Amino acid sequence: MRIAAAGLSDTGLKRERNEDYLAMDNSAKLYIVADGMGGHLAGEVASKVAVQIIQKNVNDWINKNSPVTEIFDFPDMTLSQRGNYLSSSIKLANRVIYEMSQEYTEYKGMGTTIVILAIMPSTIIAANVGDSRIYLIRGDSMEPLSKEHSMVAEQLEMGLISEEEAKISPLRHILTRNLGSSDSVDADVFELEHVDNDRFLLCTDGLTDLVSDNEILNIIKNGNDPEHICQQLISEANKRGGNDNITVSLICVNKESDEKRGIIKKIHTFFKNKK
Amino acid sequence: MARVILVFNKKVIKEYPFSKDSMTIGRDEANEIVIDNLAVSGHHARIDKTGDIYILTDLQSTNGTFANDKKITSYKLQHKDKITIGKHLLFFALSKQEQAKATDEELDKTMILDTAQQKELLEKQAEKKAKDVSAQQGKIGVVSFIDGSGEGEIQLKKKLTKIGKAETSEIRLGGLFMPPTAATISRRPNGYAITATTGKTKVKVNDKAIKESYYLKDFDTIEIGSYKFQFYSHDIEDEK
Repeated sequence: MRIAAAGLSDTGLKRERNEDYLAMDNSAKLYIVADGMGGHLAGEVASKVAVQIIQKNVNDWINKNSPVTEIFDFPDMTLSQRGNYLSSSIKLANRVIYEMSQEYTEYKGMGTTIVILAIMPSTIIAANVGDSRIYLIRGDSMEPLSKEHSMVAEQLEMGLISEEEAKISPLRHILTRNLGSSDSVDADVFELEHVDNDRFLLCTDGLTDLVSDNEILNIIKNGNDPEHICQQLISEANKRGGNDNITVSLICVNKESDEKRGIIKKIHTFFKNKK
Repeated sequence: MARVILVFNKKVIKEYPFSKDSMTIGRDEANEIVIDNLAVSGHHARIDKTGDIYILTDLQSTNGTFANDKKITSYKLQHKDKITIGKHLLFFALSKQEQAKATDEELDKTMILDTAQQKELLEKQAEKKAKDVSAQQGKIGVVSFIDGSGEGEIQLKKKLTKIGKAETSEIRLGGLFMPPTAATISRRPNGYAITATTGKTKVKVNDKAIKESYYLKDFDTIEIGSYKFQFYSHDIEDEK
């Protein structure tokens, strides 16, 4: 399995600070994006703290092969062990940020969204809280691997408003879940088997508020490599105003077929033994 | 100072700065905010300012006054609250200084809705429409062996269900040519999808071999090797 990945985080054109945070851990094959919120410096702190807590704890638990009953909070029986590592690390990060926001006046009201992608030999796990997104691009189509925790998305799902109404709704930046606003949170986690040439896009709403899903898909299909695609996506969002911070990360998974690998191995062993 | 923004059909009609200690709303011309519409009473509602607090009061109007879709008689307004009078929407906005006092955030930045508010709002909205989405979300996928290839039905409880010969498979199938994993079914935001694990075993849905993944619909038949299943989703009982 080969992974080609890139990620970029941009302040955009209108904001003074970049409260998004991006981490690409190529050795653990863990990719995390967060969109922080809160007055003064709180947003930057929230997104960075969340990502670092998740990265540290997931790596620790992997190294120790920790049982899911011993990590943080109750395990989710619908998930694999790794899925539980992601889910628990999110709950832990939430608790830390919540307590920071309660403890210090300069952190009052701080919070962040989170999206995580973990890649394993045959499967991937996608986890999210908030309105930052993960998409799977497979073949010619794109589908979400995250659930949007916003008022407008929930109204849309309930059939109360149309897509057009959702785009201009004044409620569209109101989240129903984030990290930091309450002492506990549930992440949405999805697991699936990856196939050759699967591409995964992690992004904050700074991109999706300005560029439609179809336009994103076209940029990905026509791009040269992950780095180039990330640059194109950010550039497009900025061309359209760059109202918010924009963070994107694109990860491509390529699998050599087992048969091919098997034959190569056999030839290799044959020549090795001949020596 | 605070403002009341009058919106109709998604267009901002007028902005009213809160310059006095109270503002009245109604069809009558004597009101500060005049809404000329039959669904609006002559004297429909008022907003009073006491210190930093703004109170919205319904003046026994015919059709009622709603704050964030909940019918109110008297209600303490928060920044970004939505007031509904007839078909008109009025958004209440505090000034930056007032917001800072209340430690709220700017109009176009992200805000979190607390659980109680959110629940109330969604419940009210759910009553308005017939669609019962909560039933959809409470569903679980099930595969049932058919054609005598096996017995019983298996609930797809996990986010990822592995099907094959491996001991760790959620659905274990035997047979000489059965690989450790022949296929997987993942529960995704858009539903259950089956993926054929690349290899020799063909995975067919409704007699057609699938390429990569396929979203399952109720009563689809799945064929893996000599095994045949039918997929469907049904409601799960409330587990509390």
